[in-house]
Amino acid sequence: MKRLFDTGNAAITEAAIFAGCKLFAGYPITPATEIAENMSRRLPQVGGFYVQAEDELAALHICIGGSLGGLKAMTSTSGPGYILFADPYGWALGSEIPVVVVNAQRVGPVSGITGAPGQGEFYLSRYPTHGGNFESIVLAPNSVQEAFQLTVEAFYLAERFRMPITVLADQIVTDGWETLLIPETEAEIQAMGLKVALRQINYGPEFYPATDEIDVPPVVLGHNTGAACSDWTPTAEGFDTEEVEWQHKHAYRLIYKVRNNRSIISQYEEFALEDEPDVIFVAYGSPSRVVKSAVQAAREQGLKVGGIRLVSIWPFPDEVFHRSAKYLSVELNYDGQLVREVQRAVPKGSEVHFLGRCGELPKVLELVEAARTLINGQPLKAIKWEREAW
Amino acid sequence: MKRTEILISGFGGQGVVRLGQIFSTAAVYEGLYTTMLVSHGTETRGGYVRSQIVIAGQPIDSPVVENPDYFCAMSKSAYTKFMSLVTAGTILYDPGYVEPERNPIARHVAIPARDRVVQELGKDIFANSFFLGVLGQYFKTAIHKEHFYQALSERVAKFQAENRQAFDFGYSYQEGADA
Amino acid sequence: MDYLAEKFLKARKIPSTACSGCGLGQVHKKVLLAIDDLGLESADIVWGTGIGCAGRQTFNTWKGDNFAGTHGRVYALATGLRLALKPEQKMILTVGDGDAFGIGLLHLLHAVRRNVDMTVIVADNFGYQSTGGQYGYTTPSGAVTDSSPYGMHDPNWVQDGRDILDILKSAGAGFLARHTSVEGHNAVESIKQAIRYKGFSLVHIIYPCVTNFFGKALGSRKPVDAYRWLKARTNPKQQDIQGITFTTGIYYQSTSERQEFSEQLRGFTERVQKRCQS
Repeated sequence: MKRLFDTGNAAITEAAIFAGCKLFAGYPITPATEIAENMSRRLPQVGGFYVQAEDELAALHICIGGSLGGLKAMTSTSGPGYILFADPYGWALGSEIPVVVVNAQRVGPVSGITGAPGQGEFYLSRYPTHGGNFESIVLAPNSVQEAFQLTVEAFYLAERFRMPITVLADQIVTDGWETLLIPETEAEIQAMGLKVALRQINYGPEFYPATDEIDVPPVVLGHNTGAACSDWTPTAEGFDTEEVEWQHKHAYRLIYKVRNNRSIISQYEEFALEDEPDVIFVAYGSPSRVVKSAVQAAREQGLKVGGIRLVSIWPFPDEVFHRSAKYLSVELNYDGQLVREVQRAVPKGSEVHFLGRCGELPKVLELVEAARTLINGQPLKAIKWEREAW
Repeated sequence: MKRTEILISGFGGQGVVRLGQIFSTAAVYEGLYTTMLVSHGTETRGGYVRSQIVIAGQPIDSPVVENPDYFCAMSKSAYTKFMSLVTAGTILYDPGYVEPERNPIARHVAIPARDRVVQELGKDIFANSFFLGVLGQYFKTAIHKEHFYQALSERVAKFQAENRQAFDFGYSYQEGADA
Repeated sequence: MDYLAEKFLKARKIPSTACSGCGLGQVHKKVLLAIDDLGLESADIVWGTGIGCAGRQTFNTWKGDNFAGTHGRVYALATGLRLALKPEQKMILTVGDGDAFGIGLLHLLHAVRRNVDMTVIVADNFGYQSTGGQYGYTTPSGAVTDSSPYGMHDPNWVQDGRDILDILKSAGAGFLARHTSVEGHNAVESIKQAIRYKGFSLVHIIYPCVTNFFGKALGSRKPVDAYRWLKARTNPKQQDIQGITFTTGIYYQSTSERQEFSEQLRGFTERVQKRCQS
């Protein structure tokens, strides 16, 4: 095991190399620039290519183009670039091309604050493009180590589901320095649960079979298979069609290959939920680290508090919200995004509350106090204009 | 080792981040878990750089430094801004930059890093390595000195010998101090 | 077209769904003639398309491998794809004027700058015809369209001293030509040279849209009127013709070799790998 002290950006880079990434096209943006820099150094060493794109539209399109030819590809960005991915992201979703997209969330909207953490793209990562008729897969690391592991996982899922996968990180995860273990032996790789899927080639004639099955090889161009892939609704052979019947089959496939194989994707962590706690914190990404500390601190003070940490956020793991309790969603935004899904997923009779910060992590102390307030049946203290109840 | 929080802050160019990196890398070589958050962006331009370091014997949950066990105050504005965070911990301040409050609550220890390295090595840029040495002394039972040397040679490209000397000066300055 | 269609096109896509009288078929045929003349087979070419009449009508007609990008982005897709294809495999993109000279111009320019080996055939029908006929960047000045009911007033890329090919030349394109769909052998020859060129090449081919453009600009949907209009303005010998005219032939041909994008990157990667090994 290689034992390093490095950033999430470095972890993501090494994960991509580990997973067999051979192409990175990107556009510099804080706090993800280091991924591009690292890839420009690492890829040529392993026979891969780094392309600096003219904008994020081009960055993801170039990645998808490479993937179309059989190269595993990745790009990285932050919110202002992620929104520009809308066009190519949709293309890759619709024509079912594997690609990995990293978003290091910062403070928004628009350029906002560059070097501080935010969580503003929770819903954007669910709907990263227009048109509907698809499910998304999004993984959210909360540490440098997990940034490594989930990036490897994203490459694996991208191949099996043949679609773009977003690694939704945040500035704390990408810029933060931490102990990073990189496995070197087969036994260490297995112990870490890392899986790598090799690129398969679809030899046709059915490039878009009407099925919810995964592990269908994607279109790979350049092998004279007569393949066709496009932004149009495809027939099974990839011909563009305007027939609603084909549209139905295509949409069914894009939606249900994910929904019907959720068990492969779904990952979450539960803290101290065994005794039906009064208050359950919910978080993903770096705030979940504070939540975990807060659960422990609250327990030490005799408060019945638990926590749920989402590792995969889309498809949303409704099944984990089966307990009636007072839920408190802890997020790095002031508008409340995750909280809306929690509200939808919890059983009737549960209360759902929101605690938002942006630009910095909340403190353990604040979270413990918030839990105590809720247990006492009091409203959360609003900071200025925040909505206190959800 | 139990969770220990360290806050290092100064102005841009003092090597605050490098100091945090070398300290944390030594901890990682020791087999400990370490996190370090670096505040940059507007803060670098606004007068201070901050490294929040947590080290522990097991994986670390919150990486936020809420109650620093040690606060290395390497500039006046850093001292003013973060002093109040320290309740039970120790403030290691450089009297070359910081004039401590009268009747402070937290324990204060003067670390004349700037003056010593200028005197001994002719340049103030080695002050961060002096601070590293001081921290090394405080953590001598948790992290072997050899790991600091290893981290120094790993993370410092230029003036390795001088940085090592500055570390040694800092290490012996607080001889006998312990975490 | 029968021989060419049988040899090169997918049966399912014949006949095309283009409007009757559309000149796009002439453009498509010239490209296939050039491919046939060069002795290339379906495995030798990966065919990409954009959006609009030119893109949609030619998408997945090629017997080999096909892809279509969203509007204006096919050049970026092709840039990535180029890195994965064998160096000897050709990439031909058939796109429209709005795709290449409007929404996709930035990506097109960067493909030129990088010298990505591809042949772009811009099938130009004077604007956005698949959406009903709005003006574009090659619409003749003064022409009435659905979005220029008082006559085209927006400066275009092809008149008043501007030429889009000049911009592409300055950006570093190695082979550029312009033709109209009513031309024959000379246009096929230009396309052949473009395909043979190792690096970025582009052939701009103007063709008539009878249904929308000429229906409004000339007030006639008779193909014969549209073709007569275009023929009168097709100008291979650079004669003095009143109003808009299309000087056809090879516009620019580089005499010095510029290294191609994927070759350069492959070479770079090999050098770095060697350096790391030693």
